Amino acid sequence: MIDRIVNMFDIVAKQGHGSVATVLLIGFFFGAIIAYSRLDKFEKMAGFMIFEDTLVPRMAMTTVALSSVGFYFLVQTGYASFAVKPIMLTGLIVGAFIFGIGLVILGKCPSAFFVSVSEGRVDTFVGVLGGMVGGGVFTLLYPNLKDWMGSSRGSPQVFDFFVDYNLAVVLIFATILLVTAYFLPSLEFRDEADFKEK
Amino acid sequence: MPRQIPWWIGGIALSLLFYFSFSSFGANRPIGVSTGMAYLSTILFGLDAEHYIYTAEIEKSGAWEGVMLFGAFFGGLFVSLFITKSFRISYIPTLWKIRKNSSIKSRMTWSFIAGFLLVFGARLAGGCNAGHILSGGSQLAISGIIFAFVALGTGVVTGRFFYKKKGASCDR
Repeated sequence: MIDRIVNMFDIVAKQGHGSVATVLLIGFFFGAIIAYSRLDKFEKMAGFMIFEDTLVPRMAMTTVALSSVGFYFLVQTGYASFAVKPIMLTGLIVGAFIFGIGLVILGKCPSAFFVSVSEGRVDTFVGVLGGMVGGGVFTLLYPNLKDWMGSSRGSPQVFDFFVDYNLAVVLIFATILLVTAYFLPSLEFRDEADFKEK
Repeated sequence: MPRQIPWWIGGIALSLLFYFSFSSFGANRPIGVSTGMAYLSTILFGLDAEHYIYTAEIEKSGAWEGVMLFGAFFGGLFVSLFITKSFRISYIPTLWKIRKNSSIKSRMTWSFIAGFLLVFGARLAGGCNAGHILSGGSQLAISGIIFAFVALGTGVVTGRFFYKKKGASCDR
């Protein structure tokens, strides 16, 4: 196992997507922002889907709105290129369905797994163990699942349907998300356990 | 120092981090997570790339996300220890106690099952919240938009049946 972990860092060092230090730094800030916004809490993620808290949709819409405009200009100016996931329709829909069930029960997305564990949440650690088994089982079953998941239908973007109006599309998309985020009701489940003085 | 940042500051901060990761100034790739989870599971269970086709297929992306998750753990630990001061050993979330039950056994069993479903489902779909909804949505990817509607819609319907109604009596 130690060999594989060392190899993981080695692969990152050689693949040209930032140095190991850069990737660790991206992860550090990713975890820090999730923790500081409290996005890692059950009350926020599950709470959003059972109408107790609106932090997750508001923050996610703001992130996607601002990132969509930024990504568009980064690509236009040659500082980035789109990396869009392909559509394998059966896998995408069935997988999203299964994911949604897990999401509302665990109340953490995979992004928040390790952040929540780092906060001392034993239930999330058990969720991570379940996730490890899920990943292992998927790896074992993949040769049988691959064809069933469907062939790739390409990686379409909304831009592809409005070829001459890409800037307008991204600005309208971002505006709709920002306005929706702003006008969503401010529901907040205040977990008193987090605000006790030590 | 405030113990929590508001949603709009969180959104701005996350998008700035996304710009950095996505651009050639940073990693020249969008942020994703669930491939990293699957990759870490292949390390844990000894499913190496020589013998398992899926490990071989995700090796580059999975390694990147696996290393990023190491960083995320320490970022979360730093904030929970020194800023939010919310680090404590806990077993059941407060809202679970209110809307489900106060049984540690129940919470642990459901957590394991849900964790399994999350990673297995994300791998079937080719991504999770981070890869499909945040990074995919930011690129106006059709795959990300389909994933968002199906996953969140399923979550809302499941939540309606899985938890007690808001304000219903609980067994605390």
